[in-house]
Amino acid sequence: MAAPSVAGLGRRLRAWVPRLMQVRWSRYNPSYLEPEVNKELYQKPLEELTEEEKEQMDLKAVRPIKAAPPTLSSSVFSDPMISKFTNMMMRDGNKVLARSLMTQTLEAIKRKQLEKYHKAPENEKETIECNPHVIFHQALKNCQPIIGLSNITKGGKTYQVPVPLKDNRKRFLAMKWLITECRENKHRRTLMPEKLSQELLLAFKNEGPVIKRKHALHKMAEANRAYAHFRWQ
Amino acid sequence: MGGRSCAVMAAAAGRVFRLCRRWGAGPRAQMLRLIYTTTAVQRKNVGASGPEKYTEAFIKKQIEEFNLGKRHLANMMGEDPETFTQEDIDRAIAYLFPSGLFDEQARPMMKHPREIFPEQRKIQWGEDGRPFHFLFYTGKQSYYSLMHETYEKLLNVEKYQDQLIAQDLPLQKEKRNLAGSRWLTKIELEEMLLEKLSDDDYSRFIQLLQKLTDLPCSDIEEKYIQKFSKELPVQMQKVVIEPLQYDEQGVAFSTGEGRRKTARATAVVYDNGTGKMTVNGKDILHYFPVLQDREQLLFPFQFLGRIGKHDAVCTVSGGGRSAQAGAIRLACAKALRSFVTEKEVEFMRQAGLLTVDPRVKERKKPGQEGARRKFTWKKR
Repeated sequence: MAAPSVAGLGRRLRAWVPRLMQVRWSRYNPSYLEPEVNKELYQKPLEELTEEEKEQMDLKAVRPIKAAPPTLSSSVFSDPMISKFTNMMMRDGNKVLARSLMTQTLEAIKRKQLEKYHKAPENEKETIECNPHVIFHQALKNCQPIIGLSNITKGGKTYQVPVPLKDNRKRFLAMKWLITECRENKHRRTLMPEKLSQELLLAFKNEGPVIKRKHALHKMAEANRAYAHFRWQ
Repeated sequence: MGGRSCAVMAAAAGRVFRLCRRWGAGPRAQMLRLIYTTTAVQRKNVGASGPEKYTEAFIKKQIEEFNLGKRHLANMMGEDPETFTQEDIDRAIAYLFPSGLFDEQARPMMKHPREIFPEQRKIQWGEDGRPFHFLFYTGKQSYYSLMHETYEKLLNVEKYQDQLIAQDLPLQKEKRNLAGSRWLTKIELEEMLLEKLSDDDYSRFIQLLQKLTDLPCSDIEEKYIQKFSKELPVQMQKVVIEPLQYDEQGVAFSTGEGRRKTARATAVVYDNGTGKMTVNGKDILHYFPVLQDREQLLFPFQFLGRIGKHDAVCTVSGGGRSAQAGAIRLACAKALRSFVTEKEVEFMRQAGLLTVDPRVKERKKPGQEGARRKFTWKKR
């Protein structure tokens, strides 16, 4: 297919054009490194750094660094996990709507937890978690499957083979399940924030349809244990 | 005098056009003007691709003509022939032969013949037809002899290591700073060997070099290894930070420019401020109703911990909502460089605040609906 358009802007922006046209390519030269936004890492004195960190620092001093994307910021309120989730919820590029839904969800979680907190007796007050970020992360963690199934064709037949999943894939599946669950299995009138907050609170307690789906996947993997050796053909 | 110097210059310019034999099918066929294209420009390694095209004597003559032409040019421009540098030559040629051609390699140029005629390997065999080098019949004699040499060094180092172990001496390992240097690229290696290499050959050579450097006692062969490695300059040294300026009231300020996609922004950051930011005359709360954009504007200040300490007045045009925010962010970060220590500037660079984002909208391709989306596939 046609090469990426670098005719006018290319030379000015000094963007990188790959020699052979690739399917997944980026405007950055492969030597560019990812930016590190966390302030604390920069304030550490030199003695506390380990060998690896020192090597990393040396490497960073010599290599160019990519620009920080608009979703990333050094403020305490920006969470990469929440940004990822917001992007997955987004439809047709409407980031404003997705972000407002996310903030409304977190607000709803906080309200529900506060209600429970004020109604609970004194001794149970400490066990109730009110921080919506903590609930969000714990719920996602509980939803992540450990093992997944992959289609492997052998001898003309396709088998569902249990396969260990990578971290990125686990997180993606957890988020995807949550979102599809909230979009499909709800009453027509309930809004997304309400349904999502419900699901997140259930997942936090290891209950709810998303956790059930995870367990179903684990059971399938256990059932297909006999084909596990197909992974190494 | 003028005519002769022009001819000399034209010859020394080394740009004449090839008339192919087949064009002159009729009576013109007898005329054959010998021409040389500037192969330095095409970066092709003519090295071993054929018999010698330019003899030593020819190149010497070209160099003499070039030097003579240089002196004539200096005379013409009214400058001292002794201190006439290459930059002066380029300026003089650009003045005397103004060219509107877009391709800079196509314009008239006058360079030293070594840059125009690429280095050629001399004929590899004697009068009796017997080649000089023992690896001539491999086809890539320089490459294989280089591999042999490197392996010899490797064996040397291993032998030395064995000796140290036999004497129960410790093996020293002073860590070579690998981050500060890089290996030669394939093109540079080809130029060094005057031979064409394949990607596979190149990667095998680099693997061997890496193996050599990874040995503990590789310091003895340091000189040999340095022939194939180049220093990487520290990124920070390339940037010049402007000093602070002071306005009438004595308040320090600094300007910065930024861009993102099609948006262009300028920011003036004042010291002793209260954290007010104005964009195109409006407050940021009015101009950027979306929280994400305001987060981006405050990002450089928050990163440096100077949120309530600076005032900023920005102008921006072009692009969309997010692009304008990104452009202003870059402009503010660049302006803040003057207020801050060098270490913090380096931290800003590593946080990605000082890089121009090169991502632009990808063009739509013919035969597809968008940049990536293809038309609906129909079986019939």
